[in-house]
Amino acid sequence: MKLTKTFDKALWVFHVNSGSCNACDIEIVAALTPRYDVERFGIKLVGSPRHADVLLFTGPVTRKMKDRVMRVYEQTPDPKVVMVIGNCGSTTGVFYDSYAIDGPIDTLLPDDAHVLYVTGCPVRPENVINGVKEAWLYLEKLRGDDK
Amino acid sequence: MPTSTIYTLIKQLLTKKATNPFPVKYTPNNMHAAASLIESGDLTINPPVELPPDFRGKLSYDVDACIGCQLCLKVCPAEALVFKSEERKVKHYVSRCTFCAQCANICPKDCFEMTEEFLIAGLDKYSDDMILNP
Repeated sequence: MKLTKTFDKALWVFHVNSGSCNACDIEIVAALTPRYDVERFGIKLVGSPRHADVLLFTGPVTRKMKDRVMRVYEQTPDPKVVMVIGNCGSTTGVFYDSYAIDGPIDTLLPDDAHVLYVTGCPVRPENVINGVKEAWLYLEKLRGDDK
Repeated sequence: MPTSTIYTLIKQLLTKKATNPFPVKYTPNNMHAAASLIESGDLTINPPVELPPDFRGKLSYDVDACIGCQLCLKVCPAEALVFKSEERKVKHYVSRCTFCAQCANICPKDCFEMTEEFLIAGLDKYSDDMILNP
């Protein structure tokens, strides 16, 4: 992944519900509200994957959402980081034996995808911010600024 | 009215903001430098919003108290627990857990407890701190 100057701090996020129960989606929205206010870090929810730096996936990937998840991932310009919010997306959670699930997400994405897992069921808004902190640390390591 | 505008402005400046500035107010220029500052104690982290009572966070597991009765495996809705037959203890995957506390409620020896730890994020979902009794 070649890092550009713009892919530094103010990460723009695009949120995809790939079949979650809406709990993690509500917590993401709660992180954007004035109570937690991630916009003070320059993090902004955008309406198109073509504008995004970071993709937020919530939920195990249902069969109907599989093609859409792949399309959204391919539409996002490089460099990009995928943040999997909640345990459903990372391991499919309680839906582990469901016939309607094609996930977890990291099995669908290409091998060179940069995936970061935020654990919780649902995650708390502070944990979303904590995940962004981990993403910054990871990006600095890629850039060689970890001194 | 200019006087009421000035009054509202001063009131807004003096009232306490609703925003909880966790972990720091603005983005530091270098996160690794900020992390080393936090370790040395030069930079303090603003605490998260107060947790509700009986909050269910990451599970803690008392290996010595466990008798291997496998009741927790029967109630777990997400197969987050795996029985280790040669050791007769269980292994718990935090990234599969749904934090329902059913294992903590059914355990006859109370070896499971829901802690208040919830800041869990990382690049590896099966790292050592994400598996209890690996």
